[in-house]
Amino acid sequence: MSLDLWVAILAGTLALAAPLVLAGIGEGFVERAGRINLGIEGMMIMGALSGVWAGSIGGPLLGLAAGILVGLLLAIGMNLVVYRLHANEIVVGLGVTMLGLGLSTFLFQLWIPSGTTNVTVQTITGSGNGPLAGIPVIGPILFGQSPLVYLAAVLLVAAWAVMRFTRFGLAVQAVGTDPASAALRGVRVQKVGASALLLGGALAGLGGAVITVGTIGSFTPDITAGRGYIVLAVVIMGRSRPIGIALGALLFAFLQSFALLSQSTSVTLPSEVYQSLPYLVTLIVLVITSRSQMRRLFRATRAPEAENAQDARDAGAGTARTR
Amino acid sequence: MRTLDRRRWVLTASVVLVVVAVAALLILVAGADPLVGIRGLVEGISSSPYRIGEVFVGAVPIGIVALTLIPALRAGVFSVGAEGQIVIGAIAATGAIFAVDQLFGGAAPGPVLWITGFVAGAVGGGVTALIPAFLAVRWRVNEILSTLLLNYLAAGFLGWTLRTWLATGEQTATPQSAHLPEAASLPLLVPGTRAHWGVLLVLVIGAALFVWRRSRSSARLTVFATRPKLALRLGATRTQVVYSTMLLSGVGAGVVGWIQVAGVNNRLLNSVSGGVGFSGIAVALLGSLTPIGIILAALFFSALTAGAVGMQSATGTVPASIAEVIKGVLLIGVACIAAYQRHPLAALAPAGAPTAADDGGGGAPPLEPAGEATAGTLVEAEHEGGRA
Repeated sequence: MSLDLWVAILAGTLALAAPLVLAGIGEGFVERAGRINLGIEGMMIMGALSGVWAGSIGGPLLGLAAGILVGLLLAIGMNLVVYRLHANEIVVGLGVTMLGLGLSTFLFQLWIPSGTTNVTVQTITGSGNGPLAGIPVIGPILFGQSPLVYLAAVLLVAAWAVMRFTRFGLAVQAVGTDPASAALRGVRVQKVGASALLLGGALAGLGGAVITVGTIGSFTPDITAGRGYIVLAVVIMGRSRPIGIALGALLFAFLQSFALLSQSTSVTLPSEVYQSLPYLVTLIVLVITSRSQMRRLFRATRAPEAENAQDARDAGAGTARTR
Repeated sequence: MRTLDRRRWVLTASVVLVVVAVAALLILVAGADPLVGIRGLVEGISSSPYRIGEVFVGAVPIGIVALTLIPALRAGVFSVGAEGQIVIGAIAATGAIFAVDQLFGGAAPGPVLWITGFVAGAVGGGVTALIPAFLAVRWRVNEILSTLLLNYLAAGFLGWTLRTWLATGEQTATPQSAHLPEAASLPLLVPGTRAHWGVLLVLVIGAALFVWRRSRSSARLTVFATRPKLALRLGATRTQVVYSTMLLSGVGAGVVGWIQVAGVNNRLLNSVSGGVGFSGIAVALLGSLTPIGIILAALFFSALTAGAVGMQSATGTVPASIAEVIKGVLLIGVACIAAYQRHPLAALAPAGAPTAADDGGGGAPPLEPAGEATAGTLVEAEHEGGRA
């Protein structure tokens, strides 16, 4: 495999990772707040559709805004049902995903009846000719990307800062670790959880819009192809931390990019192996992280009582959360 | 209790209203007359015996998946791997049927091939389900995620299978296996339709689970979902619960794989699972984890899919994917209703607190319609445990 191919694969990795990172940041907040949003897939695909639709009317920026808005609306609905009506969030999440997949297909078929040409919108592309893009190898990988990739990177740092240094970030962590104690200390548990969920929805919608408006330029039913679930896996693998989420997203995106670009080369494996590889590696990493999580839990069992209880709670939520 | 009951009825009525309103709105958005749409829906379901048969044919896989998910969901084990288990079951069944047929020199009798397909499908689905069960028990890997990821791996394996070792020799537009031997296909229940003997299998499984629901092991699972430590005293360890419930759902899904191959398509297609796995979960919850409720809900889901196709052809503008939207709304609505089922924990737990915090229940949903009975069951179960 030539150097050019590797450059293309690595550049593609960053582009493919951007939507995962964006949605992952949001889900990171949701899981830090002790909740889980299984509706990401539905929110992403609705964001992808509305992104193209609004993009075809008012340009790509409007498309991104529409994606955020639709994700936010779905999250508001989900929040209402889960918090106000006390419905089970796993079931509601699956319902939102089902609804999103169905509604996006329905609206798309109304908008573009089968037999007519699909609408392609202008994408937000990288300038590709900045002063740094000329550097061999590193230039095209790091400096020739779409602005959306840099946006994802900036938001990643911002998410870290918010989680670490702001009242809201600390409140989210407090609510996720021990809602009862947080409530006693004056944190409004419901409000913080709702804010996290809305943030997660908005970013999932944005992630979906980035898939269509950022790279592909058009919508097809089931275009997200399970990326919402991958986001969930990435967040759990990354223990809801920005750096972990970024690494997980990059790993998945690298394998996806590798699968897309390396099929044409001399390596002759069945194409299905390449397509399955990202999912297989994600599963393996998930197992490894769960295993180390459990090991730590066992060590903590011998520690003082207080920690013990906290760890049991961590395991109880079934998600990888850190203290 | 009475106020809760009334609230539940109000909620149920509003969910039905919302679903109908959403359906009408979507038809209007598509620029069609809702009445024409509804007529198309009804005709799509019932205008000929063949179409009625199709509703049953569609309900069989959803029903079996949902029924065999009852124990898992009761115990709060959220497996969403039916999709992949159907695929592996179908591959195993197809491969085994061809192999056994070859063993008999191409003239194997029907019953032998049926049993072969059934067993191979069950083993294929069961083994696939044991992977996430093992991961969940051994390393506490979240079973929702592991089963979701395995679905993609199964789909990849199916794609490869249909290109290589099970590919048909003929030239076809889509990848598929060769035709199954005539004798392998399930006999028809009603001539003139595609309704096959699998319909009866649903009733058998439903009856078995109906009996099981009154058994001690069912009560144990209910206890496990909410109080794992109490369940331990009743002899239900996490290992045993996760393995047994996931194995059952996997076997069910694997058998569905065989039924779809031998009863409906007579060959292995890429679309063998076709969203049945996810519909199965929705139907199980819609039927509030009771066998009769699930069978009715499965018929309803299947009728909705068939009716939406009728609606599409009657109105000409409403896409058949309207069925998926309605199913999603319905699932969310059912989750709301389930929250008001007088479950002691659902009533007590503050909205922000995890309900199953004391062990790795994996976010056990307070779904079962136990109500007043739960308190009784808990006491009885403890009593029985004490005697044992």
